[in-house]
Amino acid sequence: MADDRKKLPTVNPLGGDVDTGPPASWLITKVDAVVNWSRRNSLWPMPLGTACCAIEMMATAGSKYDIARFGAERFSFSPRQADLMIVAGRVTYKMAPILRRIWDQMPQPKWCISMGACASSGGMFDNYTIVQGIDQIIPVDVYVPGCPPRPESLLYALMMVQEKIKGESLANPVHREESPDSAGKPNLPPEAIELVAQPFGNSTRQNRISGVEGSSAISRPRDRRERLLEHQD
Amino acid sequence: MSSTVAEPLPDLVVGEQPLADAEASVSVRALRSRFGEAIRGVRLDAVGTPVVSIDPARVHDALSFLKTDADQAYDLLLDVMGADPGGDLVIQVWYQLWSMENGRMLRLLVLLPRADLSVQSAVDLYPAADWLEREVYDMYGVSFEGHPDLRRILMPENYDEGFPLRKDFPLRGRFTRSEQVRRALNRSTEDVYAREELALAGVLEAEPAAELAADEAGEAEDYLAGEKMVINMGPQHPATHGVLRLVLQLDGETIVRCIPHIGYLHTGFEKTCEYREWNQVVPYTDRMDYLAPMLYNIGYAGAVESLLDVEITPRCQVVRLIMSELNRLLGHLLWLGTGAMDVGATTVFLYTFQERERIYNLHEAYCGGRITTSVTRIGGMVADLPVGWLDACRELVNGLPATLDEAERLLTRNSIFQARLVDVGIIDAEKALEFGLTGPNLRASGIAYDVRKARPYLGYEEYDFDVPVGVVGDAYDRYLVRMEEMRQSIRILQQALDRVPDGPINVQDPAVILPDKSEAMSSIDAMISHFKLVMEGVQVPAGDVWYSIEATKGELGFGLISDGGPKPVRCRFRGPSFVNLAALPYLVEGGLVSDVIAANASIDIVLGEIDR
Ligand code: SF4
Repeated sequence: MADDRKKLPTVNPLGGDVDTGPPASWLITKVDAVVNWSRRNSLWPMPLGTACCAIEMMATAGSKYDIARFGAERFSFSPRQADLMIVAGRVTYKMAPILRRIWDQMPQPKWCISMGACASSGGMFDNYTIVQGIDQIIPVDVYVPGCPPRPESLLYALMMVQEKIKGESLANPVHREESPDSAGKPNLPPEAIELVAQPFGNSTRQNRISGVEGSSAISRPRDRRERLLEHQD
Repeated sequence: MSSTVAEPLPDLVVGEQPLADAEASVSVRALRSRFGEAIRGVRLDAVGTPVVSIDPARVHDALSFLKTDADQAYDLLLDVMGADPGGDLVIQVWYQLWSMENGRMLRLLVLLPRADLSVQSAVDLYPAADWLEREVYDMYGVSFEGHPDLRRILMPENYDEGFPLRKDFPLRGRFTRSEQVRRALNRSTEDVYAREELALAGVLEAEPAAELAADEAGEAEDYLAGEKMVINMGPQHPATHGVLRLVLQLDGETIVRCIPHIGYLHTGFEKTCEYREWNQVVPYTDRMDYLAPMLYNIGYAGAVESLLDVEITPRCQVVRLIMSELNRLLGHLLWLGTGAMDVGATTVFLYTFQERERIYNLHEAYCGGRITTSVTRIGGMVADLPVGWLDACRELVNGLPATLDEAERLLTRNSIFQARLVDVGIIDAEKALEFGLTGPNLRASGIAYDVRKARPYLGYEEYDFDVPVGVVGDAYDRYLVRMEEMRQSIRILQQALDRVPDGPINVQDPAVILPDKSEAMSSIDAMISHFKLVMEGVQVPAGDVWYSIEATKGELGFGLISDGGPKPVRCRFRGPSFVNLAALPYLVEGGLVSDVIAANASIDIVLGEIDR
């Protein structure tokens, strides 16, 4: 329960006093609106396509699904000019340092979509060569389920990233913090890697490890209010 | 180099009929009379190919005899495969040979005791053995004496957990996952590059001999030509079609050396399949060649059925043939789109993807999946065709020639396209055979070898189609051959769509195929067989087989070994692009750096099946 409280929304539905971080001034919110609008409508993907999922990524770029409708058609094969990494396909331990290096080479702000079961959890390959989820190596913003996910799913993930960008603020740099010391290092501590890499581990534990609530616990506003009241007692 | 190509090759390679008795084979008799005691045993495998077990010390002599003897002329080494039956048993190495002239196949088997895992390398006879032997070394630790460059190929070069395909190697690796991640991220530059490349780049001191040679060469030439440069292409590069890495040494714009590195997508298919039941392997197969997934499904099912000695129904046969040809189109269309894009023509990619979407729609209507289809089951298919599917397919097939015409109008006589492809990456027939090329790459060099004609399966002998061949063997020829192959596929489809027979799609064998749901609910027999199949899986009798089909990229071989249990002992997939890619250095060395892209696109690789 203690953990749950930390994740409570910063907007208090009851109108009481809840710590919402530094006050967002009028100017900052206006600048945020412009910056976020431009960022989310011109995401330049860095396609790290390795296997079958990459073919669906190509289909997304094709004329039928047309990723250009979301301003993300400019696939940038150079990490220096990209801000959205799409990892599509299986990542092996041999590929892992390269994936990490490419991520480190991308300038901030940057986001990451893990496309498909393999990238998200190792998928059907629980064996000696496949990384059991790229979140052990780099941080991930959106996981796309499917083997392979349909182009619609990838587009939906893209919209989720856009949605996430909408909520960012220049006053709150927490998303953009990155220390040079973390370059080339695993994204998770060893215990967490062991936990998510157990057979079926990633599908059940990933959300908790990545700090997101379990996907099964949909919190309706009323539940939230109850929890909040509990918190205030 | 040898007498193999001195004889003019037949217009079309057609295989002999399978034998009833191993001793009837000409090659077996010749080997017996020549090697006598060294022959340890002779038998036929499940499709009637002679298997000769031979003393490890004599295998090189036998290969050399089989290659050079005029009556044998086994000029194509299709595969070298390792196998570990488990326990303290010996490790096996299998050689698959094919003779173009006689249309004969032969398998050599060598048994190596665990204490002495070494055998003489065949690279001097068949350059194709280079990568194949390296793979066996990487996976089983068999050392091939005399191999020029025996190091790991799929696993990282300093991998120290052991040899993955041995039975005593755990499926998930020896170290914990966090340790595996730590090790992976801690690799230093020296580990990612081979020593030789570091020497080329000047990071390491060159071996004295190499340095001397370079000095002498440098003096003789113009002093401006001296400085060589090493560049690294991939594994994250838009034109390598996946995670292929090429290390190129350049002299100005000219390529002096090209060293491919693979294994960045090594997925452990062969190991994982040993832990799955026979039917559970099907979903793994389509994730190897995701550009033409059903071909892998169909080939795998055919291989297991030959072990089981099950004859599929006539309807299933035609349906599989239709799926095969649709997927050939699917694969070739992707090659066309990306290949054209690699040399700068983006429009073609959009056209071909539109057509691919139409084929995906057919996939989806049939099995629900677009790419990962998993359509076959041992003894049949996942389902019968839905109502109206054949008409939809006919409509697609009738519309395809227009798309091809359009693409050809854009490319075939386009002077930029020709400038990029004509006379780039030339390989002649003799060299192509030596490198073990198959499929359109071999045919572009002038050899009319197509598994559909040489060893017909799925009733291909009843269809009317031609095998296009090239003349020069350059990238442009490979383009022309594939374009014509697509038209031939359309021709086959038009014939097949008119002859889909009625009747059941699955065999009526309760030991192989699940009974109907309604039957399982109403009859006790059907319920029992349903229960047994679900709980125990299909039981495949002990035996082995080498079964191959013509995939989009070449000859796709399945080497299966069964011990009578519910799971395979060995599942070998001979991905054709693995062997084809090994010829890339030959194609690009001496050419310009921009030609690497065109040459690489023209051999049509897919990393999923190269790295497996
Ligand atoms: S998730 Fe499925 S489709 Fe995607 S790379 Fe993995 S196996 Fe292929």
